[in-house]
Amino acid sequence: MRPPLCLLALALPLVSPASAQAPLSARDSAFHVLNRLAWGPAPGQVDAVLREGALAWAERQLGVARVDDPKLATRLPERFPVLALRQADFIQLFVAQQQQQQAAARAQPDDPMRPQPGVPPAPGTRPANRNELRDLGSQTQQLVLARATASEHQAAEVLVDFWFNHFNVFYGKGLVRPYLHSYVEEAIRPNALGKFEDLLIATARHPAMLFYLDNAQSVADGAVPPNLQRLQQAQRQARRPGQAARTDSMMRRAQQRMPTGINENYARELLELHTLGVDGGYTQGDIEEIARILTGWGIARPGQGAGFVYSAWAHDRGAKTVLGMTFPAGGGEDEGVRLLQALASHPATMHNVSAKLCGRLVADAAPDGCIDDAVSAWRRTGGEIREVVRAIVHSQDFWAAANVGSKVKTPLEFVLSAVRAVGGTVDDTPRLSAAVTRLGQPTYLKTEPTGYQETQEDWVNSGALLNRMNLAMALAAGLLPGVSVNLEAVIPRTADRDALLDAIDARLFGGKLSRNTRSAIAAELADIRDPQTMRAMALGLALGGPEFQRQ
Amino acid sequence: MTVSRRAFMRGGALALMSFGLDPLFLDRAAYAVAPLRQGAARGKTLVCLFQRGAVDGLSMIVPFSDAAYYRDRPRIAIPRNRVINLDDQFGLHPGMAGLMPWWRDGSLAVVHAVGSPTSTRSHFDAQDYMESGTPGRKSTLDGWGNRYCQHHTEHVETPFRAVAFGPQLPRTLAGSAPALAIDDLRTFGVQNRGGSQDRLSRAFESLYQGSATGLLATSSHEGFEAVRMLREADPSRNPAANGAQYPAGRLGQSLRQIAQLIRADLGLEIAFADVGGWDTHVNQGADQGQLSQRLGELGRALTAFATDMGEHMANVVVLTMSEFGRTVRENGNAGTDHGRATAMMVLGGGVQGGKVHGRWPGLATEQREDGRDLTVTTDFRDLFGEILARHLGARDLGAVFPGHTTGAEAFPGVMRG
Repeated sequence: MRPPLCLLALALPLVSPASAQAPLSARDSAFHVLNRLAWGPAPGQVDAVLREGALAWAERQLGVARVDDPKLATRLPERFPVLALRQADFIQLFVAQQQQQQAAARAQPDDPMRPQPGVPPAPGTRPANRNELRDLGSQTQQLVLARATASEHQAAEVLVDFWFNHFNVFYGKGLVRPYLHSYVEEAIRPNALGKFEDLLIATARHPAMLFYLDNAQSVADGAVPPNLQRLQQAQRQARRPGQAARTDSMMRRAQQRMPTGINENYARELLELHTLGVDGGYTQGDIEEIARILTGWGIARPGQGAGFVYSAWAHDRGAKTVLGMTFPAGGGEDEGVRLLQALASHPATMHNVSAKLCGRLVADAAPDGCIDDAVSAWRRTGGEIREVVRAIVHSQDFWAAANVGSKVKTPLEFVLSAVRAVGGTVDDTPRLSAAVTRLGQPTYLKTEPTGYQETQEDWVNSGALLNRMNLAMALAAGLLPGVSVNLEAVIPRTADRDALLDAIDARLFGGKLSRNTRSAIAAELADIRDPQTMRAMALGLALGGPEFQRQ
Repeated sequence: MTVSRRAFMRGGALALMSFGLDPLFLDRAAYAVAPLRQGAARGKTLVCLFQRGAVDGLSMIVPFSDAAYYRDRPRIAIPRNRVINLDDQFGLHPGMAGLMPWWRDGSLAVVHAVGSPTSTRSHFDAQDYMESGTPGRKSTLDGWGNRYCQHHTEHVETPFRAVAFGPQLPRTLAGSAPALAIDDLRTFGVQNRGGSQDRLSRAFESLYQGSATGLLATSSHEGFEAVRMLREADPSRNPAANGAQYPAGRLGQSLRQIAQLIRADLGLEIAFADVGGWDTHVNQGADQGQLSQRLGELGRALTAFATDMGEHMANVVVLTMSEFGRTVRENGNAGTDHGRATAMMVLGGGVQGGKVHGRWPGLATEQREDGRDLTVTTDFRDLFGEILARHLGARDLGAVFPGHTTGAEAFPGVMRG
């Protein structure tokens, strides 16, 4: 059901949203847009957005040419050396680490703590030694927090988080480890505001995804790789027994490593999660056909660049039919691209992905009107992400009073908005990432391809809330590891309780702190004399209290 | 010292009323003091112990009568004279000798050749499948333990019904039913540097009572209730009983705290702990060495737990699990690689113990899966399902393991029906 405000909706870009919908004041609108299209308001930012106008600010945020904030981008590399590395550097490190571990395994055969060669540890398996790759991994995690707290391109960083989560890969699974950084920097970030089709294809072809969902192992039934073909031939021609034994053992090793047959994992998640959605009207047959189309899409060996490679020998060259589309026999790599293009502009995809964006930006139960607006923008622009998001921000649902403050923050949103609220700066240690992990949302470590859920049921539980309170108290005392904060600049010390509460209300809650919360905090301050202790208590209760959990 | 759960609930609810609770929570508090029924009335607890990294079931529960075992494992087989004989076919790794009294009195059972119907040999996928309880389906959002709690709601509502020991909730317990992750019983709750913990806790409580709505309100109530119940019960002050000696380390601490929580009678129904270090690709060792140390710790921890629990053990079942087993043949590094079936142990009251359950497929090459691994003859869901049904009283196993049909005829028979 949509309120009859179509004409006003068309006029929205020209007027302040407050004038279109009575319940939201201009200040409320500024606060709201900073909670949804940014990682929460930084000190003074509500006033700045108020002056500019909430919609004008949103327009500017969605209009940025690149995801990277140029001012921040020049400062970050000295703190995060990982930014100077390319995919090839990671692969080199990964290979070197494996060789080193194998050498160590040979050198000290009796040491039970020696790392195993080859396989990076899954949860509970033996951890590798502390090494450069691990440091780079924690930098990659910490970079998320540094960018989200400090970037001027807030909406872009919110969308980067959304898209990574949509195309989730799990850092702990094997080769995803050395490929994650490039996946984020080269597949997700450059396309986060671009065309959905480009984003989809970039993720589909990236080694991180090819490994995570096993497409790199998927080969046509009966396909034999060239090295094994050569061995088979050598075996047939072997004359001396010693020679035959040698090719035998080489063949056994090659066969052990050889992938056998079709793997449907990527095909299934491509339909269910990345594009059409679980109710998108496809069959198990479609999944199987897609898996056949994508056979041969794999990862090149380290010596050959370690990037995407198409192996003709592994490709199923038969005819395929998917969702009524036909792919005649004899096709190659191109049929996968054609398939992804078709999926990217399929009506079910437009609806599924738009609904997910509305779920993130508007309300847990995505409102139909908002989805409709997003889908028509998608149709009109051929899936330009910034236009789809723009349509959502211009939809009446985005500004509806019922949706303001309706969503519970995820742990990441809670931590980032709290740090931003007190003007905190994230250091380059993994300590703040560890805090997000303790709250249950470790960055890049969601094992399932679903990514993290957006709804409150997944985040609100008693243990998690207690942990949020503890984090809030630590931050308010300036003692949260990994964050430096100048509280005096945001909430000056004062012995005047009312003045203190006024400041917290204005700076952190956009002037909307409830009377209940205010009086509950005031009651706790009654017998505290020291202004610093008083501020720490008031701020901690405010940040750990129920209102700050919402956005 | 045991205090009845019912008394706690009533005391807790009365204490809460003085804070002016909203009616929603009073409903739930009233529910909590309602007469206890069925499983909860019996106070049954299931303790799940996940051996992450894939334990070599063939070293843990040794098929010493199978010639292929010694032939294919020249360097890592447990020597025949070191194996502790169980039934003339299988034997226990010597590191777990402490468990023999429970084997002899019939409260320790083994299921061999158990595993997943999905043949993935990826730790990540296999752990995921064993915890979601839906092998082959990656998009399942909740775990089987949580689905049990969702679909069997007649049991008493307590914040301690499903508790995982560790910093995060494992997949097994994740989902829409309330479940707690407790890193350490001694530090659970609101921390107050240099101030009163109770006071800060009360401050947050009054804040949430006055201003929280919806899920934030109910969950915070549960959290504060849990903190208060723990404070009153103070389970961590109880020393281990019967001279039980827990091994140092995370596993020992987890089991010790699970025992404290069970003894505090706070309504714990599913407890979860995990222990790593089983991924023995290189120099696995035999009756000594790497794997032997891990199994020794596991054996000592389980022995300490059963000793500590004493007669309470009648209401407790401990189930060990691992995502898959390891190759029959040892590899070039005197280790083993990722395989298929493994062994799981079931220890506690009502267990049909002193017996190795499950159909033994044999170790001859033609009897193996893909010619290399111990074949899975028991679907892990049939084992888990039997324990849920016969120990906790679950009725709707179809909701716990969707897409899988199980029942008495599929159960391996580890519980006395």
